[in-house]
Amino acid sequence: MRLPGTRYQEPGWEEVRKLLGQCSLAALRGVDPARLLDAAARDDLLADYVERTGERLRQARHGARAQAPGNSYGDTVLELALGLLYELQARPADWQAFCAAAASEQARIAGFWMEAGGDALLRKKLNDMYAVLRDKVDADNYQAACGRPCSPNRIYAYRMLDTAYGDIARLFADWEQHRDQVGAILGRELQGTPIEVRQLRTIADCRAEWVLRWSETLEAFGGGVGPLHTRSKRFANLKTAPDKIAAMLREIGDYEALSANQDRDWLQDRDDAALWMEDYWRVLQESEEGTTPGPDLILEAREDALGLDDVPEPQAEDDAPPPQDPRLDVLAAAVSLPPGYMQAAGEAEERTGWVARELGGDGLAVRLAVYAKLLGPGDESYPDAWRDPATGELPTMQQLAGLARVSLPTLRKRRDAAIARLEAATMRRTG
Amino acid sequence: MNTKTAARKTLDRRLQERLLLDRRVDGDRLVLADAVLTAALDGSRPLTAGERAALQASPLTTRRLRQLAIERRARQAPASPVSGWRGSQGRLRAASSGEVDALRTDDGWFTLHLVPQGEGWRAILQLAADAPFAADLLAARAPLRVRDGAGRTILEGRLDADGECEAAWPFPSAPAAHLQAADAAFSVESI
Repeated sequence: MRLPGTRYQEPGWEEVRKLLGQCSLAALRGVDPARLLDAAARDDLLADYVERTGERLRQARHGARAQAPGNSYGDTVLELALGLLYELQARPADWQAFCAAAASEQARIAGFWMEAGGDALLRKKLNDMYAVLRDKVDADNYQAACGRPCSPNRIYAYRMLDTAYGDIARLFADWEQHRDQVGAILGRELQGTPIEVRQLRTIADCRAEWVLRWSETLEAFGGGVGPLHTRSKRFANLKTAPDKIAAMLREIGDYEALSANQDRDWLQDRDDAALWMEDYWRVLQESEEGTTPGPDLILEAREDALGLDDVPEPQAEDDAPPPQDPRLDVLAAAVSLPPGYMQAAGEAEERTGWVARELGGDGLAVRLAVYAKLLGPGDESYPDAWRDPATGELPTMQQLAGLARVSLPTLRKRRDAAIARLEAATMRRTG
Repeated sequence: MNTKTAARKTLDRRLQERLLLDRRVDGDRLVLADAVLTAALDGSRPLTAGERAALQASPLTTRRLRQLAIERRARQAPASPVSGWRGSQGRLRAASSGEVDALRTDDGWFTLHLVPQGEGWRAILQLAADAPFAADLLAARAPLRVRDGAGRTILEGRLDADGECEAAWPFPSAPAAHLQAADAAFSVESI
């Protein structure tokens, strides 16, 4: 199923889920389950989990599963898995829920994931977490793409309808073998070839009452309880609103037709990626200078109004290059980087740039860690001097910690603090 | 502006974009209607202070603004000089270790020839004579640009009477290696 903006709703999702499960389990094998019980340690554990799993995903990147298409927009399974992993990082509540679920299992059977079958239990809980997360992500993607409100539940409902259509289409295509069931869906006894069978070409042709009757009679034809007729309240509102069902079916169909005909303007996207930021700053600037009379046209009143303090931009740093320090070479060699790495990487940095200015007080290692976290280790826009020649990517967090002569958790803390400062700076910047 | 500064500026901007877009707020929702965002984008009604605060507090609404800004820019982009053509894209097929001598766009209407010349290379863009818009494009003498997958310009110019336009290969690395590193892609567009 395709909808505006969504990425995780096509059959490739199964592979994304499996890849995430496989890499997560491997990553969690090195974790002491006791850490899950300690609510205060969960944030640290999340950072640890994301890093370890990201590492495993990158190790698996050449595999057939990782390279397989994850959707029809050209995202691979690996890209989608990494995307979801980084979403998790930004949504600690979902991780907390997973930890709580694992902790309650742990309370039942201490060290359950060491037991036989424990992997399967843990994988199930991971699956649950990512299943919730993908619908949250796609609900946001949908809203950003088309401006209409959407909840994760609504995404779930679209998917249920898409599955229902798939099953109905399958039955229609083979109607002679499923005469009774097709009759039950159409709500009449079949005389000769039903015309509907030939009329159903896409999901947009699927009628709401067929879906309702399909769900109602599914159990009688051995397919289990129909999704609209379970005891769950999930689709209670949908069940009594065939017009809503019809509108959703049509929306899926219309978008599928549109997205199938349209060339993806991927170059356009790339060019504009940077340019829209100028529009964003301009909108903020004009708002500050403007005198638009109230009232505020806000869709849903928010309780907390943000204070907008004008914080002066810090002074640009001295342009002089840092003196060469022979001790840096020793450090570089100790973490398997070429001698001169720190020097060259420092010189490749634009010292008047915004990031260098905001993070001037942090070391180069912290700044590189910030880039790696936000843009990934191999972004095409990095200067060559920043890359480890052995991998073609930025040094790993372990290497950067070695360069900064601090422990890995310390570097992580500094990196996250630096990102928080950059976020604050981005928020107050208006041009 | 030298290339290093330009590159760093792009890097800064991409980082800022990530900082803006990667935030997640529990219970986030669209807080401004499309009409309000659109009016702010075209300057007809700047946001009030309250709306501005709401926008800044809602990463999701910021993403919606991004989408509207991109669509607006796409609409404002100069129309194609000929009807029926809005640009062509091509990919470097199968990672071969050797050099490439010609690349065709996916629609088959352009070929990019890469010819060794002295120490370097020469890039020649050739329009297929049977392209449905060939006559119009030649008549319009529209300036064209060929770019790599990272958006950098490979060559710019107008097609001559033979439907060709050429320039020295502008990058230090050889075409195959360069394109491979630039998403293995290239595009032809009118300027």
